Amino acid sequence: MYRYDEFDHAFVAERVAQFRDQVERRLSGELAEDAFKPLRLMNGVYLQLHAYMLRIAIPYGTLNSKQMRMLAHVARTYDRGYGHFTTRQNLQFNWPKLSDMPDVLAELATVEMHAIQTSGNCIRNVTADHFAGAAADEVADPRPYAEILRQWSSVHPEFSFLPRKFKIAVTGAERDRAAIQVHDIGLHLKKNDKGEIGFAVYVGGGQGRTPMIAKLIKDFLPEEDLLSYTTAVMRVYNLHGRRDNKYKARIKILVHETGAEELARQVEVEFAALKDTELKLPEADVAAITAYFAPPALPQRAEGWENLARWKKADPAFSRWVHQNVQPHKNPDYGMVTISLKPIGGIPGDASDSQMDAVADIAEEYAFDEIRVSHEQNLILPHVALADLESVYRGLVAIGLAEANAGLITDIIACPGLDYCALANARSIPVAQEISRRFGNPERQAEIGELKIKISGCINACGHHHVGHIGLLGVEKKGAELYQITLGGSGDEHTSIGEIIGRGFEPEKVTDAIEKIVDTYLGLRNDPSEIFLDAYRRVGPQPFKDALYGDSKAEAA
Amino acid sequence: MGDKVLTANRLTDGIAVWLDANGTWVTSLQDALVARHAEAVAALEAIGKKSYADNLVVDVAVVDVQETDGVLWPLRLRERIRAQGPTMEYAPGYKPADPAFIAV
Amino acid sequence: MTRIWRETGFVDNDPWVIETEEVKAGEGQKPLLSLEELVTKADESNEVGFGVLIKPADDVRKLEPYLYRLELVAVAFPAFNDGRAFSHASLLRERLGYTNELRAVGDVLIDQVPHMLRCGIDSFAVTNETAIKRLTEKRLPEIPHYYQPTARDAEPGKSYSWRRQAKPAA
Repeated sequence: MYRYDEFDHAFVAERVAQFRDQVERRLSGELAEDAFKPLRLMNGVYLQLHAYMLRIAIPYGTLNSKQMRMLAHVARTYDRGYGHFTTRQNLQFNWPKLSDMPDVLAELATVEMHAIQTSGNCIRNVTADHFAGAAADEVADPRPYAEILRQWSSVHPEFSFLPRKFKIAVTGAERDRAAIQVHDIGLHLKKNDKGEIGFAVYVGGGQGRTPMIAKLIKDFLPEEDLLSYTTAVMRVYNLHGRRDNKYKARIKILVHETGAEELARQVEVEFAALKDTELKLPEADVAAITAYFAPPALPQRAEGWENLARWKKADPAFSRWVHQNVQPHKNPDYGMVTISLKPIGGIPGDASDSQMDAVADIAEEYAFDEIRVSHEQNLILPHVALADLESVYRGLVAIGLAEANAGLITDIIACPGLDYCALANARSIPVAQEISRRFGNPERQAEIGELKIKISGCINACGHHHVGHIGLLGVEKKGAELYQITLGGSGDEHTSIGEIIGRGFEPEKVTDAIEKIVDTYLGLRNDPSEIFLDAYRRVGPQPFKDALYGDSKAEAA
Repeated sequence: MGDKVLTANRLTDGIAVWLDANGTWVTSLQDALVARHAEAVAALEAIGKKSYADNLVVDVAVVDVQETDGVLWPLRLRERIRAQGPTMEYAPGYKPADPAFIAV
Repeated sequence: MTRIWRETGFVDNDPWVIETEEVKAGEGQKPLLSLEELVTKADESNEVGFGVLIKPADDVRKLEPYLYRLELVAVAFPAFNDGRAFSHASLLRERLGYTNELRAVGDVLIDQVPHMLRCGIDSFAVTNETAIKRLTEKRLPEIPHYYQPTARDAEPGKSYSWRRQAKPAA
C-alpha cells in the first residue's frame, strides 16, 4: 500500500496545524460558525443529533494493522469505544469533542491517516474495488490511480468550493464492486486492443433525492490523461453546476439538464486545452505509485488444500463460512476473506475498539498486514492462505465477527439513521437488527441465497437503498416512521435503480413484508441458482405487489 | 400554543443540551425550562441567539414538548432520540433510550 | 471599511470603485465595468486602462480580445463558498495569459486567501476584520506543500510531476 514520503508527512502536519488554528479561532469566537462550518466539514467534522461526528478517510478502503490499532485507540481514548465503517469505505466516530479533534488528527497523522475532505463541497474519498490487487478477475489494480487522484485532489484551490460534494470511484474488473455508475465520476480501468491502460469514464451517477445512473462520456481515456481530463470535468462542473438549489447541485443534474452529449463536448473543449500541459501523467510517476501496490510475495502454501478439506468436514460452521465469506484469489493457494460486520442482531458496520485491535492482530499474522473496508460496510482480508483460514476463522469467532453471511440477506447495509444523524427522518439500525434476527438461521439464509438489503433513514440515501436488491427508505409520516420498499436495485456493472412497489410499512410491519417478499421469490424462482435480483428482473414487480398488497389495491404511497 | 423548551448543541463537545431555569445549558431534557406563553418563548429565542453569539452553543432550536406528571416528552421522535440517545445498545457502559419514552 | 491588500502590503489610494445606486466613481476614481459594459465600451473606442468586474455566471473567456486593454480584472465571490471565481482566475491566468492585476472582491475571508493566491489572484478587497488583522500580521493559514499545479508559479514538488511547493519568500 502507499507509504507517505516526507512531502506527505509535511502536508498532513501543516493541515493539522491549520485546523488547530481554525478550531482555536472558533472556540474563542474569532471565527463565526457559518465561516467555520465549511472549514470543519473539509476536515471531516459534522454536527449530528447527540454530538459531533468525525469521519476519517480510509483512502480507497485500504489500511494496515498499525492504522487499525490507531483507530481502536482513538475510539477508546476520545470516543465511546467503537467506530462505524461506511458505504464510502471511511470510518465514523460519533462522540468526539471539537476541542479534542486537533489532537485526534495529530495522532492519526503519525500513522499516515487524516480526515481531509471527507465532507464539504469538494472532492471526497476516492473509493475502489475492495478486492483490488487480489481478485482473480481483475484486469488491473485501480488503487494506484485512486491514490494519484487522492493526492491531486487534496486541497485543490480551484475545486474546494464546488456547488456540492463530489465522489469518484474506480474499478479494475468487468465485475463492478465499487458501484461506479452511481458516482459523480466512475472510472472503469481497462486495456484497449493494443493492451494499453486507460479508463472508460462515466459521469453523473448518484443516489439521493434523484437517483441517476452515470452516463458514459468517454470510451477510452488514456492513462496519461487522467488528471487533465478530470480537471476538465471538474472545471465545467465548478462553473456550471447549479448553485441556486442544494438539491439540484450535483453534477448528475448538470448532465441531465445539459444532456450527456453536450456536456461531454464541453469537457472535450476544456480537455483539449489541458491535454498537453503539466497535468500529463509521466509513465515513471504511474510506475512509482503502482510499485507501492505490488502484491505481497505470497509463498506457496499447497498444504492448504488438504487441510481445508479436512477442517470443513470437521466443522460445518467453518465450512459455511468458507463457502460464503471466502472468494477466489489470483493465487490458487490463497483466498479473499470477508469479515462480516453484520453479526445477527448487531449494528451493521460497527466495530468495537477490541474488535479493531483483534482484526489488526489477525491481519498482521495471517494476512500480510493488509485490511480493506468495503462499501458494503464489511472488512476484507484480501490475502489469506487457505492453509491459514481456520486460524483466521477461530480468531474471528473469538471476537464475534465470524458470521457466514457475506452477500446474504442478513448482510444488511444501513446508514446510522435517526439514532444518530441530524438529517434523518427515520431509524435504520433497529430495522436492520430485526430483519437480521428474523432471518438469522444459517440454513434459511443459505436457502435464500444472495440478497442485498440496503436501508437509508432519509432521502440522502447514505445506505445506498436505491441500489439494494431490496431497498428500504425511512420517511416520516404524521410524526411516525414509515418505510418505503424498493425492489430490483443493483450497484454492479448492470446498475439499476430499485422500483418503489407500493405504500410504505410501519416499523412493526417491515420484517413481515420482507418475509412475504422472500417467500414470493422462493415460490417463483426457476431454481436455487436464480438469485433474487435475477428472478425479480425476470418477473417484474407484480407478483411482489400482489403478495404484499393483495391483488385488489396496489397503489404507490 | 403548546409548551416549548430551548435546545442546542454545545460548541466544545457537540453534546445536546437544553436551557434550564438558571439560564444554564444542561445535558438533561428533564431539567429544561418550559415556556408556556408567547413572551416566554420569545425570551427563550433571545437567550438562544445570545448563547450562539457568545460561542457557547450551535444549532439552537425551540422544540415542542408535552408535560405529563412532571415528565417532559418531546412531540417529535427526533427530539426524543436527542434527549435519550441511540435507541439500541451501542457501546458498553451506555444505556440505550427507554423504548416507552421513544414510542410514538 | 474595505482595504486593498497585495502580498507587498496594504495599498492606499486605490482608484477602483464598484458602482452601485448610491456609490459612483468620483474624481480620481475609475469604475469597475460589468462584462457587458466592458465589451460595449471597448468595441466603440480605443481606450485602454479599463477595469472589469467578473460575476460568477460570466464567461471569462469573453475578455480574450480585450486583455491588453485591461488594467484590472476583479473576480467576485458574492458568498465565500461560491467557488466559481477560482476557475475564472485560473482560466484568466493559464488559458488567456492575462498578466495584469487580478483582484478578489466580495466575501473575502482569510481562510480562502491562500486558495485565491494559488489561482493567480494577486490583490484582495478585504472588509472582514479578522482577515485584515491576519493579513496585517502576514499570518496566512496556508499549507506550503501543494498536490497540484495551479495558475500561480511554484517550485517543483518532490517525487511526482503533479506536486509543487511554495516559492521561498522573496
